[in-house]
Amino acid sequence: MTVRGRARGADPVAILAAGAVTPIGTDLDTFWSALVEGRDGISAIERFRVDDLRVGCGGEIKRVPAIDGGGRIDCRASQLLLAAADDLRRRGRIDAEPARLAVVVGTALGGVEELERALDKDGRPRRAGAALYDSPGRALARRLGARGPLLTVSTACASGATALGVGADLLRADRADLVVAGGFDILCRFVMRGFDALRSLTRERVRPFDRRRSGLLLGESAALVLMAREADARGPRLGRLLGHASTSDGAHIAAPHPEGRGLLTAVRGALAQAAIDPADVDLVSAHGTATPLNDRIETAVLKAALGARAGAVPVNSIKAGLGHTMGAAATLEAIMCLLASRDGLVPPTLGFEEPDPECDLDYVPLRPRAMRPRVSLSTSLGFGGCNAALVLDGGPA
Amino acid sequence: MTAAATRGSTLRAVGVITGWGDGLAALPAEAARAAGDRSTIAIDRPALPGPRFRRATRECLLGVAAVQAMLEAAGLAREDIAGPDTALVYVTAAAYGASNRAFIEAAAGGSALHFPYTAPSAVPAEVTIEFGLTGAYVIFVGGATTTLEALAHAAGLLERGECARALVLAVETFRECEDLHARARWLLERPLVESAACALLTPGDGALTLARATGRADLSAAARRRAGETLACEPLIALALGLESGDDRLGVTGRWRDRQLSANWTRS
Repeated sequence: MTVRGRARGADPVAILAAGAVTPIGTDLDTFWSALVEGRDGISAIERFRVDDLRVGCGGEIKRVPAIDGGGRIDCRASQLLLAAADDLRRRGRIDAEPARLAVVVGTALGGVEELERALDKDGRPRRAGAALYDSPGRALARRLGARGPLLTVSTACASGATALGVGADLLRADRADLVVAGGFDILCRFVMRGFDALRSLTRERVRPFDRRRSGLLLGESAALVLMAREADARGPRLGRLLGHASTSDGAHIAAPHPEGRGLLTAVRGALAQAAIDPADVDLVSAHGTATPLNDRIETAVLKAALGARAGAVPVNSIKAGLGHTMGAAATLEAIMCLLASRDGLVPPTLGFEEPDPECDLDYVPLRPRAMRPRVSLSTSLGFGGCNAALVLDGGPA
Repeated sequence: MTAAATRGSTLRAVGVITGWGDGLAALPAEAARAAGDRSTIAIDRPALPGPRFRRATRECLLGVAAVQAMLEAAGLAREDIAGPDTALVYVTAAAYGASNRAFIEAAAGGSALHFPYTAPSAVPAEVTIEFGLTGAYVIFVGGATTTLEALAHAAGLLERGECARALVLAVETFRECEDLHARARWLLERPLVESAACALLTPGDGALTLARATGRADLSAAARRRAGETLACEPLIALALGLESGDDRLGVTGRWRDRQLSANWTRS
């Protein structure tokens, strides 16, 4: 298969390296092997009180790796982000001039746990500043010595995709030579209480696209990629970001549009920017939260976007083993697509066993699929009618 | 998202609401003097009609009111911006603080209704629902430098033909977290002035360039002097002052934490 019509699309952006800290592996290699093996990272939450909640488990990272060079970081969100940056730096050279190095991170929750602590009687004044949602991104920029554009994106649970798209835009506009982009979010009482109150959390196993699916579980992660203009990229790379789009539903404060209007616009926009025909999509990494509504809508959108070939395209969701990692989710899913291309293995959709008549695509059940996707589509949705889509190329440059 | 690619962008109108009142005419000559001993100049909850707004937060309503003010300034109707051809880029440094705090401090009951409003995406969500915006959509968190980045992002969307018009919206509220802001004095000057502002960008021959800055541009200095500390809204208020003055070149600056940027816009 050839990537058609490149002359019509936006300039591709090279993804040189990635780093990740997740509940199933606190570095990229462990994360990837755990995904392929179908390891389950869901456990009882130990770091904060959950005894008053309906659901007390999730994808909790039990031990965050120590930050290279030492130093104590109080804010867990910054801790995760810096640990992911350390992993990234071990895999890719971040050697741009400080003024030409940009940082773009996505988050749904920012430093909200610091607000909880700031509101305690004994909260230190500094915590008020740390509670700002852009504080972890600033900690990352300081850590990397980056003095170029510094942006925190908060398109809810689509943030990790939007951040990569904004990063690509900065490179295409020549605002930076290298961009470190990605997403993060942590498990904390604030978000557990919120999703618990919404009754979005399942007491059973997370089962994306399965007939018995009954909700999601949350997780925490940080994931980053190193991006450069394709024309400037030297040496090995994981793949390329060909196109992206982020759109609004304009329909509801929390629920997705019933027909997935905004998501379909995002998918078509990303494919158009990439100059990729839907027939050339080899793999879809779905948002796949395992809520009854999300999975049905996403299936319908994929059918509309991919047409008659939709049933032949593998669609997976990696949220059952990780939990829904919110701001990190879409970045992890983009990385998964590129590693699937590299290694010729697509991780399975854990928990998917019984087909649902309304979710009738190929969801990669039970075991990893031996195939080498070249073009992948990754979809994301979030509160506030946020949608995002990425088109990735994992083939050789 | 079907518009043809264009060469540049034009700033067509800016709607401004602040704790001082509606529009630039409400701004005092000297915010510090007008504030007296008040550290925060708050805005009352806008009285917008419709049952849908019953649960919406004050900051959501301020976002809607700012877009309405922009439409009036531009002489446009709601129908003129509805649909997939309008992009919305939203910025705030702190407007999620009130809803986050309320959720943390609330008793367990009622939180299912309130939780979605804790996300920074709640404000632009209400705007997209109210005005039927279904185009490109990005939400940034940060202060004045981030607003300049948001303007550049919006201009890029226009230049690439990914929208026919772009709204850059900023909202800042302070009242509910006054005690926390008092503890973070190194971040914020006084008076803190609640504000909401929305800029309309359309295709044109204007070019927006961002650069690192060391000083404060005249328009930004005027916005700061007259409005007070408005964080992400400050560059939009400065641009509104520039539009009002009829300058062909609009130069504004933004500062947030350890970053400082300038944006220069040559109008067609």
